[in-house]
Amino acid sequence: MDRDLPAASASRRDLLRMIGAGAGITAMHHAMSSLGVAGESPYRGPIDLQGAPPGASVLILGAGIAGLSAALELRNAGYQVQVLEFNTRPGGRTWTLRGGDSYTELGGFTQQCGFAKDQYINPGPWRIPHHHRGLLSYCKRLGVPLEPFVQINYNAYLHSSRAFGGKPRRYREIKADYQGYVAELLAKATRQNALDAAVSQEDRDRLLESLRDWGALDKNDAYAANEVSSNRRGYRREPGGGIGGRPLASSPDTRSEILDSRLWKALSRADAFDMQPSLFQPVGGMDQITAAFGRELAPVIRYGAKVVDIRQDDHGVSVLYEDTHAPGSRLKARADWCLCTIPLPILAQIPMNVGAALASAIAAVPYAASVKVGLQFNRRFWEEDEQIYGGITYTDMPISNIAYPNTGFHGGGKAVLLGAYIFGPSAMEFTAMTPQERIEKALDYGSQIHPQYRREFDNGIAVAWHRSPFTMGCFSAWSSEARERHYDDLCAIDGRIALAGEHVSFLNGWQEGAVTSALDAIGRLHQRATGQGARA
Amino acid sequence: MNTTRRRAWPSLTLLGLAAAVSAPVLGNDADGAALAGLAADSGAATYAHICQGCHMPRGQGAVGAGRYPALAGNPALVSWQYVALTVLNGKNGMPAFGRQNKQGTSPAFLSVYLSDAQVAAVVNYVRTHFGNHWRSTATADQVAALPHP
Repeated sequence: MDRDLPAASASRRDLLRMIGAGAGITAMHHAMSSLGVAGESPYRGPIDLQGAPPGASVLILGAGIAGLSAALELRNAGYQVQVLEFNTRPGGRTWTLRGGDSYTELGGFTQQCGFAKDQYINPGPWRIPHHHRGLLSYCKRLGVPLEPFVQINYNAYLHSSRAFGGKPRRYREIKADYQGYVAELLAKATRQNALDAAVSQEDRDRLLESLRDWGALDKNDAYAANEVSSNRRGYRREPGGGIGGRPLASSPDTRSEILDSRLWKALSRADAFDMQPSLFQPVGGMDQITAAFGRELAPVIRYGAKVVDIRQDDHGVSVLYEDTHAPGSRLKARADWCLCTIPLPILAQIPMNVGAALASAIAAVPYAASVKVGLQFNRRFWEEDEQIYGGITYTDMPISNIAYPNTGFHGGGKAVLLGAYIFGPSAMEFTAMTPQERIEKALDYGSQIHPQYRREFDNGIAVAWHRSPFTMGCFSAWSSEARERHYDDLCAIDGRIALAGEHVSFLNGWQEGAVTSALDAIGRLHQRATGQGARA
Repeated sequence: MNTTRRRAWPSLTLLGLAAAVSAPVLGNDADGAALAGLAADSGAATYAHICQGCHMPRGQGAVGAGRYPALAGNPALVSWQYVALTVLNGKNGMPAFGRQNKQGTSPAFLSVYLSDAQVAAVVNYVRTHFGNHWRSTATADQVAALPHP
């Protein structure tokens, strides 16, 4: 039953390659942390805004997570609050597409969502880390039920079009084999005293013991086809009951196959701070959060309001906006203070009298390209045929992710999975396509992992964030250089105007960045309002 | 500065590209991503695969809460330098496509770079299509002489 196994001789070069691979991942995480991608939420509990000046007012631009959380707190603190929102729904990028929805992207391409009842995709944010305490506190306060978001599924696939003949491997196979071979090499080096003075004799024994445990090595410190490794990577025949219940061990892929596949790159993903389980999703779609905010704040939100001019003077802020149902119309809103959450690519085009520092900051931040494609199939073949219940398959093909529904397991009807979640060059290429072309490409690529795709496909919908009329991009992609030069200016209150949103945070692309930036901004606005008198 | 690993991508046949586009491996690659595979002299291909995502297939731009400027009939295109500088350095949320001279300035997995030849080609393309008929043209060397990010 055993395949030929690699020769057990561990070379120093192999070891260095292994360690180098790990170091690369660590270096990437350091880089991501410095870019703010992996930062921690500074949320420290509900904001306390005591002593709002009687009659003081705040105009909030944008009813996404930042605008809504700010509106709720300011209203509760006694401020007169008005919110202007371009869309005809609350939420902004916090958004869910379901059957019956219609979406027209920039360029005029309209899609009708044909999903079955209870099926949906979240084109924007779709997972909530357990340490995003600000957002989670609003879910709790607003009574939004949560369920687990499956970040790691050991039975989902890792796939490279250039490895293993293009055949996907299960996550558990790659993880066990990679870990097993690293342990084997390190154990060999340890036994040969190659680690020199770095480990004492006592530590050496502990290290060997831990490597055997961590890597599923046999009593000779080898990673091999046997019961121990199969208990990690899976069996050739799984253990069962009765006659024929005896398990058969599987054979690991070879060390060089595992290394050259580069599939180990996916293993560290869930080690990143913002991907560590537990993660959550709202039951029924991410927009359940903003729908709850919207119900709470209904009297103060004006929808279909396109801001065209923002002007402050010594006494307040005036905003001109167009009723999007009456093109060319000009309406005016005014308040003592303004919290502006409009995404920067749009805000950069709106006339606004702020200082040069803030104006430069607003124009300095590019927005990331990103595309998601939702695909509805006639049945849950990923569950029925492949025992994949939720979680994510990663591939080097342009679709990048296939994410399976984390709910409704064993549901008998049609079901939707996320057939593409793309950043970078491929996202730009997908954005340049028509929605129908994006869906076709997602089917082409996905078929290479799931051959059932074409036979079971029902309908799909594709969202390219640079074609989104209300953001013109997915999220702020701060460069370290722009961050150094402009971030503090973007945070600073300019006269009577403060900015908030994921772009005013080190949690770019996360709802928690929007929440914590909004709470920080209104805290400082409140200080000003109480310090100098709102109607000074 | 071009860190692309040149290799065959089966996907690109589907996309109709001649050669390689480096995409993030498993969406998690810290290497920069360059569109080296787009033929250097094909402004049309660069436009169709990158620019038209926002500026639209006929250069007509689009209007929502904000707008993507039309390239068709846009008098600002009189200056190839202006167009090239915008492509290289970005503007108002538009990413910078110029090869970066400073290491680590952008989140690499989100970035796309064009060579100076590609920038020249796409600048010349947009200035001679969509009803535009500007005569002057840019060369890769001229683009190389402009400020890059």
